[in-house]
Amino acid sequence: MVASTTTSAQAGRGGEDWSFRAEGVTKVYGGTLRANDQITLSVQPGEVYGLLGPNGAGKSTLVKQVIGLLKPTEGQIRLGPFDLVADPGAARQLCSYLPQAPVPIDSFKVREVIELTGRIRGGDRAAVRQRTSQLIEALDIGEWATTMGQRLSGGIKRLVGFSMVTVWPGRVVILDEPTNDVDPLRRRLLWEQIRLLGRQGCAVFLVTHNVMEAEKSVDRLAIIADGRLIAEGTPSSLKAADRGHLRLQVMLAPGARTPELPSWVRSHARAGHNLIAAIEEADAAQGIGWAAGLIGDGVAEEYALGATTLEDVYIRLTGHVSADDED
Amino acid sequence: MTELTWARVTPRAGLPYWLHSYRILVRWHLAGLRLWLTLLASIQILAGAGFVLGIALFFRHIPAIAALFVATGVPVINLVMVGLILGPQLVADQKLQQSYDFIRALPALQTAAACAWYTVCLLAGIPAVVISLVIAEARYGISFAVSPAILPAVLLTAFTGTMIGYALGHAVPNPMATRLTTQLLIFAIFGYTPILFPARQLPGWLATVDWWLPFGHMAVIVRAGLTDGLVTGVATSYAIVAVWGAIGIAVSAWALGRRG
Repeated sequence: MVASTTTSAQAGRGGEDWSFRAEGVTKVYGGTLRANDQITLSVQPGEVYGLLGPNGAGKSTLVKQVIGLLKPTEGQIRLGPFDLVADPGAARQLCSYLPQAPVPIDSFKVREVIELTGRIRGGDRAAVRQRTSQLIEALDIGEWATTMGQRLSGGIKRLVGFSMVTVWPGRVVILDEPTNDVDPLRRRLLWEQIRLLGRQGCAVFLVTHNVMEAEKSVDRLAIIADGRLIAEGTPSSLKAADRGHLRLQVMLAPGARTPELPSWVRSHARAGHNLIAAIEEADAAQGIGWAAGLIGDGVAEEYALGATTLEDVYIRLTGHVSADDED
Repeated sequence: MTELTWARVTPRAGLPYWLHSYRILVRWHLAGLRLWLTLLASIQILAGAGFVLGIALFFRHIPAIAALFVATGVPVINLVMVGLILGPQLVADQKLQQSYDFIRALPALQTAAACAWYTVCLLAGIPAVVISLVIAEARYGISFAVSPAILPAVLLTAFTGTMIGYALGHAVPNPMATRLTTQLLIFAIFGYTPILFPARQLPGWLATVDWWLPFGHMAVIVRAGLTDGLVTGVATSYAIVAVWGAIGIAVSAWALGRRG
């Protein structure tokens, strides 16, 4: 491991292009299950890139191959001059990874564990200490700075995990559902820090199934379903195909079954009590009438008609809603 | 904002990187064990003292040779307890809590990580060894013949125990299997390996099995450093303990290098 890193370290100096490129990445389990299927994408330094897709779509499998925890069955993953598949030691040094699962910090104090991780990641003591203070202040977790991890709530632990990963970040930062359990106020602070990572030149991979949040924060995104990359672009470009469409959201009464949908509904999905349907602008009046009728019949309680969002694109492409309570 | 060298990371290499990783990881492990240190130290001392003093409960008059075997065997248990038993259980916990990926994704050299863990296991074992020996000397009036050979014996015993535990933790995919194996090891080591008593007291077939295992040989090399003329075949025992240490390294390297 040391020897391979030495070779790569020599190659990594100078003013190379540090773009990230995955080409034809395929991961097959047990000879048949294609968790990733010919995924090709590239991310530039400074970009916040969303990887969206339903649970089990293959997002985590992809990022685990980037960080060197899994080996692709086929394909290449490169970061600047480095072949991350051939050199997982370099992958670990060049990429920072916050997994979806909790970080193991029960026995550590918050400031201590952030600083230790920064030192493991190669930052010098003074700079890591300074950056730790900045993160603790920016994420508003100062009151827990000397608290042991076992006493923290899930949301604060998540923020500490984010700080551990980004206190001395790699050129690629992979964040798998970073906002899970985080309260709305600090969630906003977290997004500011994620954008700051981009401004500092990191390529940020944001793995999420929360499309609404991602839409506001990513520069570009890929939608992955059944292991395949089914769409890629900026949020605006992905929504372009849905121009001229509207989003009709109907809140169904508790216990109500999904009503029969009129033929002019282009696509739909249900999440909890919410029925989300995409309709043509020209069908707006019919849509309002239909939703009002559902309320009149006691099937629904309220409705809203608005412009399409990235989530509508996501629903159309994957057949899933991004929220956790998807039915 | 202060100008930092974020996002301009290039892979580090060489001895300075190794030493830096080692130093930080020792601190990481010590801090990670903080919640357990008091309990761990207590268990280590109680186990050591318990065995040394407990033997007196079995006999009205303790044969001097039995007291000597127990007193010189207990250090082995102290030296391997953390690395062989607690270590794999901690890794199993990380796997159960799904935090194993985070640890594996940290940019630490695996050799430095293993050496850092070995250092911590050694540090956790030595105080209990000293206390056990002091208690044995006071209780049974044993005069140990401590020689410089105790140093390599202690280092190698702790190393092999740690590396076998490291391999168990990282190579066994199912954390529950790891836990059950460590339970079995405790049972086997305390009752059926010639650590606290001579191998000749075992049935022939079990003595043969034990000859191929490292635990009885750990006791031989530690005894050779604490007594004079009590044990024979010390060179062979060193070789067998070292081979098991090498097996532990090889299996750990394979497990940590493998990518599913």
